[in-house]
Amino acid sequence: MRTFLKLLPVVLLVLAGNAAHAAHTQVQLLLSANTVRPGDTIWAGLDMKMDPDWHTYWKNPGAAGMATKIQWQLPPGVTVGDIQWPLPEKLPPAEITTYGYNNEVMLLVPLKIAADLKPGMVLDLKANVSWLECKEACIPGKTTVAAQLNTGRDTEVSADAATINLWKSKTPQPGVQLASHAWWEKPASGDKRPLIIEWSVPDKAAEADFFPYAANNFDVQPATENLANRTGGFSLRKTVQKFSGDWPEEISGIVVMEINGQRQGFDVKVSVGDQVPTGEITSVPTSGAGVSTAPTGGVPVLPVQPLWRMLLYAFIGGLILNIMPCVLPVIALKILGFINHAQHEPGRVRVLGLIYAAGVLVSFLVLAGVVIGVKAAGHHAGWGMQFGSPVFVVCLTTLITLVALNLFGVFEVTLGGRTLSAAGQLASKQGAPGAFFNGLLATALATPCTAPFLAPALGFAFAQNSSIIVLIFLSVGLGLAAPYVVLSWNPAWLKFLPKPGAWMEKFKIAMGFPMLLTAVWLFNLAADDYGTNVLWLGVFLVLLAFATWIFGEFVQRGRTGKGIAVVIVLILLIGGYAFALENQLHWREPVAMADSTAASPANPGGIDWQSWSPEAVAKAQSEGHPVLVDFTANWCLTCQVNKKVAIEVPSVRKKLREINAVTLVGDYTHFPENITTELNRYSRAGVPLVLVYPKDVGAQPIVLPELLTPGIVLDALDRAAR
Amino acid sequence: MIMKTAFALVAALTMASVAMAVEVGKPAPDFTGTDINGKTIRLSDYKGKIVVIESYNSDCPYCHNHYATGAAQELQKDLAAKGVVWLMVNSVNPKNMSHRTPEQARAEWTSQKIAATAWIDDSSGTLGHLYGMKTTPDMYVIDKNGILVYHGAIDNQPDPFHNPRTADNYVRDAVDDLMTGKQIAVAETKPYGCSVKYAD
Repeated sequence: MRTFLKLLPVVLLVLAGNAAHAAHTQVQLLLSANTVRPGDTIWAGLDMKMDPDWHTYWKNPGAAGMATKIQWQLPPGVTVGDIQWPLPEKLPPAEITTYGYNNEVMLLVPLKIAADLKPGMVLDLKANVSWLECKEACIPGKTTVAAQLNTGRDTEVSADAATINLWKSKTPQPGVQLASHAWWEKPASGDKRPLIIEWSVPDKAAEADFFPYAANNFDVQPATENLANRTGGFSLRKTVQKFSGDWPEEISGIVVMEINGQRQGFDVKVSVGDQVPTGEITSVPTSGAGVSTAPTGGVPVLPVQPLWRMLLYAFIGGLILNIMPCVLPVIALKILGFINHAQHEPGRVRVLGLIYAAGVLVSFLVLAGVVIGVKAAGHHAGWGMQFGSPVFVVCLTTLITLVALNLFGVFEVTLGGRTLSAAGQLASKQGAPGAFFNGLLATALATPCTAPFLAPALGFAFAQNSSIIVLIFLSVGLGLAAPYVVLSWNPAWLKFLPKPGAWMEKFKIAMGFPMLLTAVWLFNLAADDYGTNVLWLGVFLVLLAFATWIFGEFVQRGRTGKGIAVVIVLILLIGGYAFALENQLHWREPVAMADSTAASPANPGGIDWQSWSPEAVAKAQSEGHPVLVDFTANWCLTCQVNKKVAIEVPSVRKKLREINAVTLVGDYTHFPENITTELNRYSRAGVPLVLVYPKDVGAQPIVLPELLTPGIVLDALDRAAR
Repeated sequence: MIMKTAFALVAALTMASVAMAVEVGKPAPDFTGTDINGKTIRLSDYKGKIVVIESYNSDCPYCHNHYATGAAQELQKDLAAKGVVWLMVNSVNPKNMSHRTPEQARAEWTSQKIAATAWIDDSSGTLGHLYGMKTTPDMYVIDKNGILVYHGAIDNQPDPFHNPRTADNYVRDAVDDLMTGKQIAVAETKPYGCSVKYAD
């Protein structure tokens, strides 16, 4: 009797197979359009929601289980393509590994509507769905789902299009560019034979795996062994079990990698060689969507660049950082130092050049460490991210103000307990600590200047394992330090620099002004975090300036009353800090300010920016608008420049109006998670990122380069409107 | 230390089970088990007879399909008439809702009109692991000399709703081939079904 009770649910289920949903899975048929123009292809999404801990299976269920089946009942003129399966998970136990889905999955099917259908029809779409759902036990499920689709003059996208798009982005993308290849490692032992699959992404760290498609006479077993790669790609050892016939000459499936913390699948068909390949073997692309006109899903192809090229980019990017406006003042100071020493101490110049380089490299190592730490902590790291931290901005503003005051000669910096001479400035007196400090400062200032070369290299770096991140950062550092190391190593070249003299003092003071400008820019950044309260940061900076003047005038250069002066300086500093920063500004915990960069109507004649979200993009596309998306941040100089010279210009404004485009802005100032994810999809470590989406539903965007001209933007908009 | 030893032990056991994994064309490993009536079943006792081993769990819709339609019992009777031994192996762990105590198993035997030789209680999973059983059903055919001649699916219809009588049954085919002295046409296939519910 007890047995019968246990069997009862199964029996009932088999009998009541046509229920709207089985015990543990709810199935629903969604369409990407309400109305379709004959000749178009739309997507059907079979949404399966499983109860907690229950799962259903992928097209290859693995060692057990059953792939979900869809049998369509369609009116004439409607044809379906193959099911597009989102990337599944490997499900335990390891000894009986299966491939499937927990919680929810949407199976996607392209529906082609024949061109000869008349507008104004109502098409009844029906599908019999059967699946196996398992937790402790397995239960077969069966249901019939239905949906209606109208034909019309134009395709009108449905409310479910965004959800369907989201699932489509989880289906594997074509893996042709991976150049995957495979070979038998050894002769067979019994019915099993080890197989090596290799592909060339310059990335070894992230979880790599291969999920095979089902085959009749053999089975690629689920266990995966990651091997040390030979060529900067991945190498996996899999075991193939043969049931009958010959050993397969071709293996197809999905290459799975974790890229930027996201699992991504790549569809590959690999021919299997008999030995380790010597030359380059390219994989054959497998057919993508079953219907050729179907819009392709998936995220854009990630750039596959060899490591050396990335390191070269990083090096060149570092070189370019030298002439960025935010770094140039430090560099000028550096030149002063060279001139001072080149006269009589060429050997010392070399040493200082190397120490400067060490300062740069150490700070880049620290940055690399931060990135690795943040990555490990599960956050998305981004270049320039430290500028999103108000505490960092306040500290740096204070530091830069002090450097400016120092250049103006208000006070001197004493290092190593020595009081330096009047000419011996922090930077120009080039003691070893001074050179080192210059290195640190150059790095701190260089970070917001994401140079065009640097961005792809960093985008690449952020997706890598720790050792490659360190390599990339060191390359940038080497690039930044290189000119000085070279100059200091060959004093002959220093002769091209002007002779030292009284002009140096004036030049030094003049360099104080770009430094002050940098401080003003940083102050402006702080305003985003503190709002009008930023006044108290200004008050603190003035008190600080006053204190440094007293310090310089009466402590360093004065003869009497030094004790009183020191007390006054301390009172000013401590009092200014406690009152202005702590009490008024609450500088360590700023009150979150309202998002200031959302739609700003106060922009007469300008572009009508709306706030970015994936839904906003889908909605605009569904209404037939091309979309321009600008991912930007207040601390990103390149972004501001792009906007000024290439986006908010009359020609682009006019074009946007002409093609009826929707303009969206994503504010990355405070690193919202959803934008980080979006940046990572395009292998970018930071902003700027400007995308132009064509008006067709689900179409992938045109990715614009980092530095924009109106021509580039106009061209992209033209293509998007076509 | 204890952990390390335990780990080494588990690793050694795993290796052993891998090394001993059954292979078509090789002798099937001998085993001793207890059936639901408390009787000791030893594979080597059936030397000289064809033996079919079935990994079984009637809560699994695939097994259920074969028994609910009566096709499995029919096959058991047909083969028994030819002198073939049919050993069912139930490896469901005792914590799983599909586990059967010997008493429940005897009731199921009667109510389902099972016509096998014996139902081996393998709730420890020892025999299942020894033979590398992954699914229910997972089928093995052993010839009169104790050589494994077939391993894999019960038939060519991996579906819990099909009519087993119209499918190509690989076990029946293998036994027929053995009886007529022919080469086994299909010696190995991929087993289908639910995963065997071993203890974690």
